Formats: sequence, C-alpha cells, structure tokens
Amino acid sequence: MAAETTQQEEASGPLQRWTQRAIQNPERIYRGLFYAAMVFFMFTTLFPFYWLLVLAITPEGQLLGGSYLPEIDLFGASATFPLPVPQGFNPAAFIEVFDQLPFHLYMLNSFALAISTTVVVLIVASLAGYVFGRLDFPGRAFLMLGILAISYFPPAAFVVPLFEAFTGNAPVVIPFTSIPLFTPPRLLNSPGSMVMPFSALFMPLSVFILTTFYGQIPDGLEDAARVEGTTRLGALFRVIMPLSAPGVATAAVLTFIAVYNEYFFSSIMATSPEAQNWSPIVGGILSFQTQYTTQFNLMGAASIVAVLPVVVLVIIAQERIVSGLTAGALKE
Amino acid sequence: MAQVKLEHVTKRYDDVTAVDDMNLNIRDGEFVCLVGPSGCGKSTTMETIAGLTIPTEGEVWIGDREVTNLPPKDRGIAMVFQNIALFPHMDVYDNISFGLRLRDYPKDEIDKRVERASDIVQLEEMLERMPDEMSGGQRQRVAIARAIVRQPDVFLMDEPLANLDAKLRVHMRTELQRLHKELDTTIVYVTHDQAEAMTMSDRIAVIDGGELQQIDPPLVCYNEPANLFVAGFIGSPSMNFVNGTVTDGQIESKNFSVAFDPAMVDGIGPGDDVTVGIRPEDVYPVDESGGLAHPTAEIHARSDVLEPMGDEIFAYLLLGDGDTSMSQEAATDDQLLMSIEPDSNMQEEDDVSVVLDRRKIHLFDDATGDAITHGLVDVTGGDESTGAPAETDD
Repeated sequence: MAAETTQQEEASGPLQRWTQRAIQNPERIYRGLFYAAMVFFMFTTLFPFYWLLVLAITPEGQLLGGSYLPEIDLFGASATFPLPVPQGFNPAAFIEVFDQLPFHLYMLNSFALAISTTVVVLIVASLAGYVFGRLDFPGRAFLMLGILAISYFPPAAFVVPLFEAFTGNAPVVIPFTSIPLFTPPRLLNSPGSMVMPFSALFMPLSVFILTTFYGQIPDGLEDAARVEGTTRLGALFRVIMPLSAPGVATAAVLTFIAVYNEYFFSSIMATSPEAQNWSPIVGGILSFQTQYTTQFNLMGAASIVAVLPVVVLVIIAQERIVSGLTAGALKE
Repeated sequence: MAQVKLEHVTKRYDDVTAVDDMNLNIRDGEFVCLVGPSGCGKSTTMETIAGLTIPTEGEVWIGDREVTNLPPKDRGIAMVFQNIALFPHMDVYDNISFGLRLRDYPKDEIDKRVERASDIVQLEEMLERMPDEMSGGQRQRVAIARAIVRQPDVFLMDEPLANLDAKLRVHMRTELQRLHKELDTTIVYVTHDQAEAMTMSDRIAVIDGGELQQIDPPLVCYNEPANLFVAGFIGSPSMNFVNGTVTDGQIESKNFSVAFDPAMVDGIGPGDDVTVGIRPEDVYPVDESGGLAHPTAEIHARSDVLEPMGDEIFAYLLLGDGDTSMSQEAATDDQLLMSIEPDSNMQEEDDVSVVLDRRKIHLFDDATGDAITHGLVDVTGGDESTGAPAETDD
C-alpha cells in the first residue's frame, strides 16, 4: 500500500503532489485562505483612508492636475506605480479645515448628539431588556415582534411627519380627524429634534442585544441582590448591567457610531448646515463644497479628523469587550 | 432576632399549587429545617418568607410585622443561596459589604463588621480575592459572611451545602451549628438531605405536596412520625412497611402477626386495614432478643442481601415465599430490612428467625396515612419510650 502511494507520487506532476499534500494537511490551505481573506479585507478597509490622506495633503491647485498614479522609470522600462501618491505636500489642509469653518463645533455637535442618544438608548433599552429578558408575562413575544416590526420601517418614512411636528406651527391631530391633541414646541435646529428620533431608530437593536445578555444572568444573583437590599431596578444597575458589560459595551458602541455618522435626519432637522443649528460632522464636511468650488482636499482632511475619535473609542471599547468576555465571570 | 410566622400561606402557579395552606410558627432563635423531596414546595415556602415570591393567599409575619407584601430588602432577612450567588464582579470585601454599602453605613462601621464576619467564617486573609479564585467551600463561607454581616433578624438558607462535596458538607454542617450557637438568630434552613435536618435543627418541618406534614424536634419526627410520609422520609434506610389487618387483639399481616394492647390503639376495630411500620434497628435476631421486654413471636425469614456499612450491617430479609423478582409494590409484604451488629455471622441465603420490638411498632391508618400509635404495648410509667433499651438495665 505504502509502496504504491510513493510510486504514484513519483509519477505525478507538481500540481498533483501539491493537491495530495493539501488533502493530507488541510491546515496549510486554511491558513493560506485566512491570510488571503485578511489581505483582501485590510485592503478594502484601509484603501479608502489612504486615498483620503492622498487627497488631503495634495495642494488645492494640484487636485485636478492629472493622474495620481505616477509613471516610474524602471531601468529604462517605464511603468505605472500601482498606488496613488499625493501630488505635492500640503499638511496645512488639516489646519485649514478648522480655519475655514468651525469644524470643531460640528464635531462637538456630533459628539453631544451621539453621547446623549447613547445614554438615552442604554437606559431605556436596559429597562426593556430587563423586562423582556428576565420577566415572563403574557404578550411578551408579541411585544418583541412589535419592536422588530418597527425596526423594519425605513427611517425616511418618519421624516416628514416628524419635521412637521418639530416645526411646532400646527397642533398634532388625531389621525384621520382634525381634532387637535397638542402643539409641540419648536424643536428644529435643536438637539431634541435629533436625539429623539435617533433614540427611537437605534433602540430596537440595543433592546435585542441587552435582552439576550440580561436573560443569561442567573436568577440567583438578582435574588441575592434584592435580599441584600436593592430594589429590582437597583439589582439591574448594580448587578445585572455590570455583569453584562460586554453586551452593554456592544450596544453603546453601535449606537454611538451610528449617531456619530448620521446625516439624513440631522440634515433635515438642522435647517441649514451651520454649527449653531446642531448640524453634525457630515454637514460640516459637505460645507466645504460650495456652489462654485469643491475643496476635495479639505473634505478629505476633515473626514480623517472626524474618524480619529471613533477609531480611538472602538479600540478602547474592544479591549473592554474582550476582557469582559475572557473574565468568564458569569459561571456560578 | 424575630419569630417567623406563616398563616394559611398558599402559592399557586397557573394550575400547580406549590404551597397549600401552610401554617408555620418558627420561634425566636430557633433553627428550623424545611425538608421534603424535590418539588415539595419547601423552596417556595422559603421564597415567600424572603419576599422573592408573593403568596397567592395568606400572611407572612416576621417579628411582629406583617411583611406579606414588603420587598425582600425591607424584611430584615439575609439569605444564603443554593448556587451561592456571589456577585462575580466584586471581590470578597465588596461582596460581604454590599448590603451595608447600600444602606449607607459609615466606612469604619462597615470595616469593623466585615472584619468580624470574615473572622467568624475564617476568611480574613481573602478579602481581596475574586469569587472565581476561591474554592466551593470558601465561596460558601463568603456567602454566609455576607448574610451575617448585616445582623439580620432571620437567616434563610436554601440548600446552602448542596453543591459541596460530601466531606466539606459535613464540615460546614458543624460550622453552621457553631454559628447558630454564636449568633443565636432564627434560622430557616431548606434541605432535601435528612441527615442535615436531623443533625442541625431544633425542629424539623417535613413538607410534602406543598403541605406541612409535621413540625417537631428531630427525634420526635423520628420516633413518633405523624403519618406514613414522615415515617418513610425520616430515617435512612427507610422504615419497613407491611400491610396488615386488625383482628381481635392481633394485627395479621401476610407473613406474621403481632399482638397489641387495645389501650394503646384508639379508633380501629377488627377488620380495619392498617400499615405496620418498623424501623430496621427495631428488628432483632432471636438469639439477641434477650433484653427485649416485649418481643413479638418469632418470624422466619431468609436473608437475601447484606450491606455492611462498617458500624452496622443492613440485612434484607425475605419472608414466607418471598420472591425478589416481584415488583417493588407487591414485594413489600415479603421483605424486611434489619440492621445487625457488624460482628454478626449471618451469611447471605441463611435461614434466620427474627423478632420485632413491639414497643417500637408504628401503626398507620391505611385510608388517611395518619399514625394511629407508636408502640403496641403500654410503656407509660417506664422511661423507655424514647431512650435506648439499655437504660432499663441501669
């Protein structure tokens, strides 16, 4: 048997030998595929940033000055360099961004909106997650389904009615009648008009995440906390939430990033893209485009500046998430 | 410190009644065990005392307060859980001081109390450890320290030793008893392990099917069980039960009959069906029965299986034409379990003759299961009703 195999191996070509080896030792192939996939994803993720950087440090006058792929001379044979390189070097664009517009205020707006939305979402979704995850009551499945159904609505469907309501000109009426209910305050150009719809839109995801996590905390721990002197609510915030730290962190990071990057609602709720109207980062970036000029280099620089805080946040949060998972603290 | 009182407490879940009209009166400073098989409602009973479950009907009193609808935190109780339930994200100090911190005690008072509690359970060196760095016994001690640090009126312990290994369990049992002596607090203790109940408690509350069967000191439960369930549940191995019929001055069973003193037996007459109960240690080989004042007639049997335990041997006897292949139900009349001295020369498949101690034979009403008598002869006036037979010789 063994002799036969060696004979076969000797007889076959290199491809066949390679296949044979791969079948006997698939680890190598898996590892190879893993690296191939890694490189692919790294490239597709990082290339846009690189391209932004190239645009940002190219002086404004050179922006439309021809190909970003330089011809290089390889010992007589000319070739095209496969990566774009900046046409010139103008790091001042990163300062210019804050000179031309109060870009830091746009960032502050986005930060404030994202943080307040995250806080609202975490508190309300924690209560909902506690109820859905730990209590048994009639209609629970139906309510969960309701939340799921609402999260399927396209956000655009809410824009017009919400805009009308937040304008505060006419009273809200009972549907299909003209009976007025109340006249809402004018919320346009204020954080209220953005935090409220954001919270509602991003709530379902957090509710689902937290329901799963809170449902896994053993009943005994909650009972122990209650006997020791907390209320149910106290047990939620003192025991269940800390033990679900990975879930809470996940919900928080997802909500924060979603709001930080949000543009659709805020562009409408802020009637003009100005910082004092609570226009967010994307509003600021788009303001570098005027009727006659588009300052791609400043837009690129602004985008990079805007992304940095999120990168830092995710790195920190990821450490927390990983440490929370590896602690394995939930095992009783 | 306080008494605990349950009045007509009933807890129903949809169509299941977990606790059925429970009346319990636990005195101040008493150590009471709730025992019963799994699912008998003992844990639910404890949860109603703790306030983790609100009873469907009835009232719960702790001390002189009615607490039926109070949340657990306002009841002056502390609880030790079966799964220990330490907060995994807090170190030992934080776990123990959790309740005190919630109640805003001053820092030095907390320190003092934690020190004392950890001293009692011998954990002083471990205050900075996390729960997952400790062994099962240490964790359980932390849980106990967490309970005693608040100096509650009542301790509730829900099978606190169930998850420990056998050796540690015996050790913790003694520690708990010492703790009770030291603190002198009312303790309600749930267990399905009757050894724990027998050894630790002042009184045992035997619960079955959500109903209280008997609440009495351990030896009373053992010697004078109120009904068939208590008789079968308390004692290991279990009491022998044989079906019998009352005739004139005699109780006839399939393989033997015993005479009884009519003065001891109320409310039954000839023709009534009863269950005869006799504990394994009250069955004697004929040649060792010399000291018995009131033996029955000899019963002929064949030894089936011997189980040497070291300090005694359990011998399974077959009576009459007893056949081991018979079903458990049918076989009870033909089987008798006895305990004999470890130096006995009895072999398996021996023919043996035994007698029963008539003073220790229990009769139970077949219809209700209630005990009729705990002895077929009148021994009042003598001091042998609970003591060992040896005492009469002194």
